[in-house]
Amino acid sequence: MELVSKLPFLCVISTLIASFCMPVLARWKKEFCAPLATFITGAVFATALFVGYHVSHGNVIHFPVSGWPPPWGIEIVVDTLSSMMLMLISGICFLILIYSFHAIKHELENNVVGWYYTAFLLCMAGMIGLVITNDIFNMYVFIEVTGIGAVALVASKGTRLATEAALKYLLLATIGSGFVLFGIGFIYMMTGNLNLNYIAMELSEVKDSYPFLIWTSLSFLVVGFGVKSALFPLHLWLPDAHSSTASPSSAVLSSLVVKVYIIAFLKILLIAFGLEIFHETYIRSLILVLSVVAMLAGSFFAFVQIELKRRLAYSTVAQIGYVFLGIGLGTPWGLTAGMLHILVHACMKTCLFLTAGAVYYQTGRKKVNQFAGLGYKMPITMGAFTVASFSMVGIPLFGGFISKYGLALGSLEADLPLLILVIILSGLLNATYYFPIIGQAYFSLEEGHEHEEKTFQKDKIPLSMLVPIAILAVCILYLGIFPGGVLDFINQTVVKLL
Amino acid sequence: MDVNILLANFPYLVTIVLFAMGTLIVLTQTNLIKKVIGINIMETAIFLFFIIVGNIQGGVPPIFDPQMPDALYINPLPSCLMLTGIVVSFSVTAFALALIVKLYIFYGTICAPNFMKLK
Amino acid sequence: MHDYVTRVVFRYMLLFVLLYGFYVIMHGHLSPGGGFSGGMIVGLGLLLYILIFGQLWKPNFRQMIIDLAIIFVGIGGILEVIKFLIPHEHGPVGIPGTLFSVGIMSVANFGISILVTSTILAIYYMISEEA
Repeated sequence: MELVSKLPFLCVISTLIASFCMPVLARWKKEFCAPLATFITGAVFATALFVGYHVSHGNVIHFPVSGWPPPWGIEIVVDTLSSMMLMLISGICFLILIYSFHAIKHELENNVVGWYYTAFLLCMAGMIGLVITNDIFNMYVFIEVTGIGAVALVASKGTRLATEAALKYLLLATIGSGFVLFGIGFIYMMTGNLNLNYIAMELSEVKDSYPFLIWTSLSFLVVGFGVKSALFPLHLWLPDAHSSTASPSSAVLSSLVVKVYIIAFLKILLIAFGLEIFHETYIRSLILVLSVVAMLAGSFFAFVQIELKRRLAYSTVAQIGYVFLGIGLGTPWGLTAGMLHILVHACMKTCLFLTAGAVYYQTGRKKVNQFAGLGYKMPITMGAFTVASFSMVGIPLFGGFISKYGLALGSLEADLPLLILVIILSGLLNATYYFPIIGQAYFSLEEGHEHEEKTFQKDKIPLSMLVPIAILAVCILYLGIFPGGVLDFINQTVVKLL
Repeated sequence: MDVNILLANFPYLVTIVLFAMGTLIVLTQTNLIKKVIGINIMETAIFLFFIIVGNIQGGVPPIFDPQMPDALYINPLPSCLMLTGIVVSFSVTAFALALIVKLYIFYGTICAPNFMKLK
Repeated sequence: MHDYVTRVVFRYMLLFVLLYGFYVIMHGHLSPGGGFSGGMIVGLGLLLYILIFGQLWKPNFRQMIIDLAIIFVGIGGILEVIKFLIPHEHGPVGIPGTLFSVGIMSVANFGISILVTSTILAIYYMISEEA
């Protein structure tokens, strides 16, 4: 067995080991935590790039863990979808960890820094494991690992609100994973297998004898993954958890953690059940209705928020709607656009949360009506903020436009042309709550400073915070102007899944 | 509905009722400790469900005995899976209790409406 | 806890709880039981003892338990990695009723039980120091 097939699993293991080294290291030498965590994540990112290069040539990595062949043992499968998520997760985590160098000292107490890195790496290991595994019970275990890591990230802030939000998140997330486990139980009951491919083979034979169990299990999975990934009526934990914690933690929670659950759901739905069952049951219309409501209601709720991070958190609820819309459409363009939106939204939301943290670092401001004149005080940060919000609204040349355009094409393919109106309306709603911030930042000045000249100054934040923000803004622009390569990569996945 | 079908599937009925009870307790009780108890009831229901799925009527525990090579064993895999499930449930419970202790230090109470000031 | 009944009853019960825990640990490799369940029983017995008779160990020793838990979790993790990455043949099937007939399994069970016991005590100490 060649080395490359072991690499994805080694990523999970090395991240986990590094995670458990952190508390011991923090007791001994606190300042070594950040470099070690960043180094490990960087190594994982390099590995992920190598694996992605290997996979993009048409190879699929199959690795039976501990040497047991698939129907009995846990199998790890890295296809284009998994390798894309692997690169996305490790890359975004790498940037956020670079950002954390200085930001964490400012936002968290000194004695929890070690635990912050523990939780971060635990969460990252869970996410990587979740996207590469091909075994549904293993998937459940990684869901729980990610969930506990994410709750620990929220709780690491240590304030009253953060602790409350963490408990709320923990209780609801546990209900969600309970539902997922019940759904997995139904699948196991029908097929007697835990490996996704074997489930698919078995289900195609027995699906006529279990007409009710199939939709029971699918509904349990939709509710479970819906709670976990904050589909609209089940999103109640998200705004509290994502807004009350430190900015780097909010960035990873909002951009990655809610997405990997969607990827897991997508894998179970498309590989195990197949699109045929999906189109036959009512689950498709349920997902479509919920996603449309999410797109509109999330934006309405975001509009009335005053605190910036809370507004961004509600905006996440709306954007999850887009991804679920892509899944619900179930057509090639819809799925491609949904997956592209996962990628684009990860870049956008990370960029927005990191800029929110940078603004708080330099000026201590948290409210959306306090942005006057910031466009001249911190030009690079606000420039990145502008790029990310334009992309969020869906203006051409920015990444968000491509995925929304794809969703519109997908709804035409699925014979649901009214959905285009919803997409445009939601984009306009996005504009109503992002443009006032940008307008304030560039076209008005602070009280007491009205007569000063508008001159660009240098950002007064450390370079380690500035560079990730700039890189993410460039990524969004790149995705908007040259989407071809990424679209091809995603298309390979979709063609294989359909 | 035929009573016999109901009786034959009685264990599954029990798991569903337990699961619903647990979820209801988590969502409606105001005392945080009771919420944690609700989570435990819910997860126990799932464990029970898996164990029932693995059961075969007339089967013996899957301990390999060289004297009886073709005995009818029950399916041991769901039990093994639930061992992992129990560990996960245990760690979630410990984590929730730790957070509740912290909230108790902040507010002096474990009754949710007294302090849930989040919107 | 100053309840007379619990003190008297548990003074005699503790031995049996620990004995049952070791019984379960020793049966892990070939028959129902195992390091996790047995370690849990031993740990909960010790925890009950602490709850009823008060803190019996010095702070240094408590800290040592927490460190031990962390170290055991780490070493266990590394061993698991080696187990997962290298394909290996399964060991001898073993004879029911004997302790050392399946290679490393029974030793591993003892290790797991120590891990679980120390983890339970560590969690208790961490929460009780916080409160």
